[in-house]
Order: sequence, then C-alpha cells, then structure tokens
Amino acid sequence: MEQLPFTALLNKYFGGIALALLQVLHVQPKHPETPITNFVAMEILVAIILLVFFILVRMRLSVERPGGLQHIVEGLHNFVQNQSEEIIGHHSEGFTPFLMALGLFILLSNLMGIIPGFESPTATPAVPLGCAVASFVYYQVQGIRKHGAGYIKQFIGPMLLLAPIMLPIELISHVARMLSLTVRLFANMFAGDLVTLVFFSLVPLGVPVVFMGLHIFVSFLQAYIFVLLVTVYLAGAMAEAH
Amino acid sequence: MPGPSPDDRDSQKRSFLVLAARYSGLALALPAATFVGWVIGTLLDKWLHTTWLYLVGLILGIIAGFVELIHAVTSSESKQ
Repeated sequence: MEQLPFTALLNKYFGGIALALLQVLHVQPKHPETPITNFVAMEILVAIILLVFFILVRMRLSVERPGGLQHIVEGLHNFVQNQSEEIIGHHSEGFTPFLMALGLFILLSNLMGIIPGFESPTATPAVPLGCAVASFVYYQVQGIRKHGAGYIKQFIGPMLLLAPIMLPIELISHVARMLSLTVRLFANMFAGDLVTLVFFSLVPLGVPVVFMGLHIFVSFLQAYIFVLLVTVYLAGAMAEAH
Repeated sequence: MPGPSPDDRDSQKRSFLVLAARYSGLALALPAATFVGWVIGTLLDKWLHTTWLYLVGLILGIIAGFVELIHAVTSSESKQ
C-alpha cells in the first residue's frame, strides 16, 4: 500500500495506539507497521476540517452582521431544511442536523480526490457502506421512536395473512437500500478518480482539467442524491402504514 | 394572470430535482434487492446445511426489487 503523506504522518504518531486498539477488537491489520490506511486517514482529515469549519462558524455567529461563512452555512441549512420539509412534511427540523452532517461529510470526502496528495475516502467501499449503515440505523430508529411497536406494520403489509411473505420481502428491500446507496456512491467516485488518473497519464496537460471538472460535478451530485434518498427513506419510516 | 412567484419556481425546480434523484435511485433497486436476497439465502443454506434456500432468497429478492419499484412509482404518482 502506497501511503499518502497525511497517512504517513498519522501512522508515525498514532500508529501504535491504532494497532493496540485493533488488537483489543481482535482485528489483525494487513500491514501491522502501518495500521492506519489511506481512507481512514482521509476520513479523519475530513472530520477535522468539518470540526474546525463549524467551530469558526460558531465563533463568528452574529445576528446584526452575519459574515460570509454564516451566509453559506445558513443557505445550506435552509436548503436541506426546505427539502426535508417538502419530502417528509412538517416537524422534519429534527432530522436536519443528521442530514446536513451526512451531506457535508460525503461532499468533502468526494472532493478530496481532486487535491494532489489526497484521495477520496468514498472511493473505498467501506466508507460509503459506513454512511449507508449509519443512515439505515438512523431512519429505522426514528421510525421506531415515532410509531413504537406499530412500526412493524410497515413490514408486514396490509393483510395479516400475507405477513409471512411480506416480512422477508420488506426486510430484503430495506437491506438492499444500504447496498444500492453504497454501490452508487462508491462506483461513481471510484470511476471519477480512475478516469481523471487515466487521462492524466495519457495527456498530462489541459485534458484532465475537463475530467476534474466532471469529478467536482459528480461529487456534488452524488452527495445530493445520497442525502435525498436518505430523506426519502426517512419519510417512508415516518409515514403511517396503510 | 400573474406568472408563478420566485418561491413557486424554486419549489418546482426542487420537486423536479427530487423526482430525478428518486428515479435515479430506482436503477439499482432491482439488482441490489436480488443480490441481497441471494446472499441471505446462501448464508441460510450454509447455516442450516440445506441446498435450496438460496433459490428462495433469490426469488424473494427479485420480488422485493419489484415491490420497491412499484412503491416508488405509486408514491410519486399519488403526489402528482
């Protein structure tokens, strides 16, 4: 595995701690001398960037004189809020923090790939899968919180007689949502990185810029689609079963 | 008659985006459900030492894929 500079830095200072942690969890890393992989290092970097960004926004919050950062974040917040209200309906404000955090994490992860010396963590299947599993758990928990035991009605269909058939079908379709979220994001980011790399090795001047532009567009689009589909699944979990 | 307000235009634009993204999500619904059904069936076969549950899982997966498609189409039609 070729280490990125940031990964090498993390392995130098935190490799021992990471190895000890993995051993506690009975996980044997493929390369014990470098237990932190590139995609984990990139995820940590994305989390640090987002944390610093929001600390800066929080420090500069002002009602009288809102700055540029505040305008950007308020715009993003309103966009996610309006969209979830349109799809889920009223009382969807509670979901905005999760949807926004998810969207920003995916967007920044996607965009990492265009900076030399970094790579998109979302071009590794484990990261989109982690986001999909988190979303799956989140919308199921919200469904259970809203409907209690009655949430099972969403899985057993309209007739009790059909429940033994409907239950496995619905369970498969819910698990399949995780797979489709994972495959869509991973495949798009992996292909985007690969296309840019191939054209960069063929024609190093000019042409890769077009594909980098395409990569930026796909990064925004995929982050948007991921958040939108999670919102649609949340709306399904919140709806009353008929 | 006055034309649509900027808020209405924004809402229409957003609805189109929502619909487009929702339909793009359908492309993977059928293969994903089929694959998940097959995987669950195969795991059950290994666990219960049977040889036919993978087929049941596969069929249920295909049905689940179609159910998801029908759900998505009927829910967007009912909103129109």
